[in-house]
Amino acid sequence: MSDSQLYVKGDNKITKPALYTGLVILLAILPLFVKSPYYLNVCILTFTYIVAAVSLRVILISGQTSLAHAAFMGIGAYTSAVLAKELGWTPWICIPLGALVTTGIGILVAFIFSRVRALLFGMLTIFFGMGIIYVIQVFSKWTGGYAGIMGITPLFGISKVPYYYFFLGITVVSLLALYRFEFCRIGKTLKTLDQSYLVASSVGIDEVKTRVLAVGVGSFFVGLIGAAYAHYTLVLSPTSFGVLQSIYLVMYVLIGGLGSFAGPIIGTAVLVIIPEAFRGLKGYSPFIFAGLLLIINFLMPQGLVGLPQLIRSRLEHRKGKGGTHAP
Amino acid sequence: METAVVTAINSLMLSAMYILVALGFALLFSIAGILNFAHGALYMLAGYICYIVAVEFGINPWVALAGTIIVMGLLGLFLERFLFRPFWGNLNRTIVTAIAIIVILETGINVSLGAGVLKQIPDFASGLIETSTFRFSVERLVIFAVSAILLAFMVWFITRTKLGLRMQAIAQEREGASLQGINIYRVAAFTFALGCMLAAVAGCFMGSLYNLDPFMGELMLLKIVEVVILGGVGSIAGILVGGLMLGTIDAVLPQFVSGQATQAIALGIIILFLLVRPQGFFGRLV
Repeated sequence: MSDSQLYVKGDNKITKPALYTGLVILLAILPLFVKSPYYLNVCILTFTYIVAAVSLRVILISGQTSLAHAAFMGIGAYTSAVLAKELGWTPWICIPLGALVTTGIGILVAFIFSRVRALLFGMLTIFFGMGIIYVIQVFSKWTGGYAGIMGITPLFGISKVPYYYFFLGITVVSLLALYRFEFCRIGKTLKTLDQSYLVASSVGIDEVKTRVLAVGVGSFFVGLIGAAYAHYTLVLSPTSFGVLQSIYLVMYVLIGGLGSFAGPIIGTAVLVIIPEAFRGLKGYSPFIFAGLLLIINFLMPQGLVGLPQLIRSRLEHRKGKGGTHAP
Repeated sequence: METAVVTAINSLMLSAMYILVALGFALLFSIAGILNFAHGALYMLAGYICYIVAVEFGINPWVALAGTIIVMGLLGLFLERFLFRPFWGNLNRTIVTAIAIIVILETGINVSLGAGVLKQIPDFASGLIETSTFRFSVERLVIFAVSAILLAFMVWFITRTKLGLRMQAIAQEREGASLQGINIYRVAAFTFALGCMLAAVAGCFMGSLYNLDPFMGELMLLKIVEVVILGGVGSIAGILVGGLMLGTIDAVLPQFVSGQATQAIALGIIILFLLVRPQGFFGRLV
């Protein structure tokens, strides 16, 4: 798996942060122009899934295929919602608590599952995800079971604008934290596990500790955003945290590009916004999603982040710069 | 006593269904290395195709079954050649393709045939067998008998025919088999078609016993994964054992606990099993 960084012309040290800062500023002034609650909702949804996808990627690059990520989001969401509803605590406390509980469970599960690798690990996470759904349904006295929870304590009032900024803030902070984590000394060891756990352990990298760390970090942020999401939508249903949603999250990361930090961001944005734009097709809109998957899968091996590189190499090929190809 | 016999037949029949579908999936994985998540959706598609032929065109269910098998076999060849072969060895992109196929099939069936009256394929055999102590439907017996014969044929095929031996060779050592002159691409294509045909049989039978549902493939996929995990990767005997176990659990437990609890218990058993013995009953350690 090669590391395809988002290729920007010029000195990456200056242009890339500038690009991102510009993007954040644009997003910050968006509500001044876009007033419709529908569009703001789409943005908030996109922010939520971006954090979920980027946190999933942290787990994926350590070589662990987790298909339970949406379940962790659900753990964070339900924990925070139930705490707020049953104990009456303010969401500002419940949300961090939800994130912490998710992290705790993630660490536990990662430790228990650390015996198995690759395929089997993936299948175990599928089963874990389903197990969480069952747990939610068993404790229906607090969680509302299959029908879901309603009337969760909201963070702000009716208007979506404060929520927009809240989610934008969480997203920026989370992404910054995750980015720093990936490139810090410990974060770099994650990728070594994926490339070769044998070589990694021979150099002294503790496989179990690193894997648990990856899942812990990933679970924290997805639990955080899940809890925040609960206090935004005010309604939760177990189906939105099932295996299908976990698979979608993995799709967001893969389609965007697993090798680059920006990958899940772009992948999520594309795969959430475009089908949403085709919402008018009602029952047919999944076709758009599937179509996007197939097109990107066949044409872009590196995912969406590889698109500029792909275009560039195609253009150079046309211009005849590639001297390696026989006429 | 009477329930015991009925339950026994049910569990055998259910096991046979699971084994049929899981076998196609496992063969594909062992031989071509393709993890075909869409196998459940293909099973569902076969059921609906049979339904359309049998009900909309009013053709005899057995003939419809034969037709469905042929169609699914051809579809399998097509899918392998154009959608899965480009991604040999690349698990990530195979999964993406499979998910896309699942979404397309499920959405397509859902918007066209999903809603409205529950759909069911007409019985393959009618009547009840009634003795003084118990009675059960002939159809279940017939389905089980046909499935058992089919499975026995499959085992014979894989172990005795040249093509079957080639499949085994590729599963054991792909490059070595290729060096011996075995055309792995052709065998992989055949395996895919074979898997689809087996799933077609199961889909048609299940569609006759129970109602058709656009999302029944997802449930079946879960069963497939459970069977393969229990049995172990790379072992046919494992699939038989795993399928039998799962079929029995699914036939016996609902008598005592609710359907959901059955699933949860089965899941729990499997998770524990995986943690204690990751390679399944007869599998190799991946």
